[in-house]
Amino acid sequence: MQTATPPSPSPLDRLRIGTCGYSYPEWGDAGFYPPGTPAQAMLSLYARQFSITELNYTWYQMPKAAAMERMLPKVPAQFGFAVKLTRSMTHEIDPHAWRGQVNQFREGIAPLVQADRLPAVLVQLPAAFERNEANRHYLANLLDALAGLPLAVEFRHHSWATDRVFTELERRRVTLVSVDVPDLPYLFPALDVVTNPDLFYIRFHGRNTRGWRSGNMQKQFDYLYSPAELQTWSGEMIPKMASQAHSGVIFFNNHVRAQAPRNAQMLIEQLGG
Amino acid sequence: MERTIIHLNIADFAAAVERRLDRRLDGRPLAIAAPAASRAVVYDMSDEAYQAGVRKGMPLTRATRLCRDLTVRPPQPARYEQAMADLLGQARAYSPLIEPGDQDGHLFVDVTGTSRLFGPAVDVAWRLRRRTRQELGLDPIWTVAANKLVAKVASRLVKPQGEYIVTPGDEEAFLSPLPVWLVPGIEAPDLSRLRELNLTRVHQVTALDPVHLEVALGPRAAFVAAALRGRDDAPVLPVGQKPPRVELNQTLDTDSHDPAVLEARLYPLVEAAGRQMRRQGRVARRIAVTADYSDGRRCVRQTRVEPPTANDLALFDLARRALHLAVVRRTRVRHLRLVCDRLIFPPAQLPLFEEERRTVLRREHLIAAMDRIRDRFGTQAVRMGRAATG
Repeated sequence: MQTATPPSPSPLDRLRIGTCGYSYPEWGDAGFYPPGTPAQAMLSLYARQFSITELNYTWYQMPKAAAMERMLPKVPAQFGFAVKLTRSMTHEIDPHAWRGQVNQFREGIAPLVQADRLPAVLVQLPAAFERNEANRHYLANLLDALAGLPLAVEFRHHSWATDRVFTELERRRVTLVSVDVPDLPYLFPALDVVTNPDLFYIRFHGRNTRGWRSGNMQKQFDYLYSPAELQTWSGEMIPKMASQAHSGVIFFNNHVRAQAPRNAQMLIEQLGG
Repeated sequence: MERTIIHLNIADFAAAVERRLDRRLDGRPLAIAAPAASRAVVYDMSDEAYQAGVRKGMPLTRATRLCRDLTVRPPQPARYEQAMADLLGQARAYSPLIEPGDQDGHLFVDVTGTSRLFGPAVDVAWRLRRRTRQELGLDPIWTVAANKLVAKVASRLVKPQGEYIVTPGDEEAFLSPLPVWLVPGIEAPDLSRLRELNLTRVHQVTALDPVHLEVALGPRAAFVAAALRGRDDAPVLPVGQKPPRVELNQTLDTDSHDPAVLEARLYPLVEAAGRQMRRQGRVARRIAVTADYSDGRRCVRQTRVEPPTANDLALFDLARRALHLAVVRRTRVRHLRLVCDRLIFPPAQLPLFEEERRTVLRREHLIAAMDRIRDRFGTQAVRMGRAATG
């Protein structure tokens, strides 16, 4: 008699898809939340549809442990929070103060670490952060200071798209964030390179070329991916990346008019979710 | 509807504006005061001076004793006015609902419902701060909250630098561990009463039964309880629509404590205030007189105007009463300020009793006649006898 062996879990089972942020008043008008949903009710409604979110307000403000603790009871036990590193360590660096900021950041996210709800810390570096000696040293020091956290680095400047960078990230087991961005020559290209066998991380920013440098988020991230555009990722790139890492997270940043959750659902369906 | 309010606050505004113009002042204790005057008081100071014990309103002589290396710069109100106008200009791009403070580097911006145009409020706040730094050379604190009260507490918490986002719904939890004195609107008598009861933190007061709080604070209990829970419905008033009030100032040529001289100086203020209100078609419900003594001390006294009026003669009786309450020391007075506020459109009803009605009408006619003469021949064309005294 032949016994049935349980099917081996697909790499895509360990993939979580969500949006960059969840608290947008306009998502009520766009139909994602019921009209008039108060901000404090949004997280629990969001968590009914997605199993992860990327907290981007922590880029504006250092995370505070008390606020993190208050979020946890609003979501199911398996819900994850990727946390974006605060701007004082990426965009507005004070050479004398950033180490202290790292300590504050660690304290702020401690409740998520303790509850095992932190799949990644996103270190997003600005477009002006090009690859030169000073920036390489700073990034190495920053990654050292943040060691122990599940780090994912997103470059915006194309100069970082070299094998030496990927090799160094591999050595450190730091995730290189793959991006889908407008086709502009100075931006970091869309790659399917996996540098950390624990985690791959993809961010979809939309392809609004005209709005990208407008200085207005509502123009920069105003884009709706077509099924065909997402198919390029879901058909080839994501399965390939998933086969090289134990888990993966994918976020949509095209938040304008709730296009991000629409595209996230679309991608989940394409991946057979 | 859930609101979103941004509060921008340039800490130590006057000192920050002076530093923008002279970078040598960076990092040094700085006070803004008229250095030549022996009776000068501190108008504003930098954080370094504050840490050394210097406070607003403190006599400059004391401030320089407390902080030996204090740099003193004279007040330049025109500069502060310009800096406020520039700050306002930055914020206008994002909302018509902007409530600036009184030349003090404070600004509330109501960005409710603008996220579809400009993106999330935190991003607007951060951009405002970045532009203010780049273009004006000033570094404001920025906070985002669901109302003005909570946004202001958040600013006070991070002062002199930083930012704070209070997520809607988190107001009570945010205020709970803080000291009560950080919450605006909780006045000195409330604080001292609460201190007597050993209640210094917000959560200690909010834990009390409303009945017990009322025993402690009387009719203020309901307001205090709401404020400490972060409830505040006060709207952000559009620029130029601050609660209407009329304010007039008079610095005496020679300091004096002679009641006749002070009254003679007060009367033109009352006349000018009355005329301004009559032009607006409003009447005052409250009148206040501020006396600044030559030693820098200040005394403010106010009185209710009942029935509300804009008539010089009726207002002067009340202003004189407030003046005599304010000027009780033997020290000479340097400066007088008259404020008429709680302005309303006048009630149509005349006094019930014949004699009282006749007096009111006679006063109204007299002042109306004087207004007509002044409109035609100028403000100096006709004067009251008492205005010529002294």
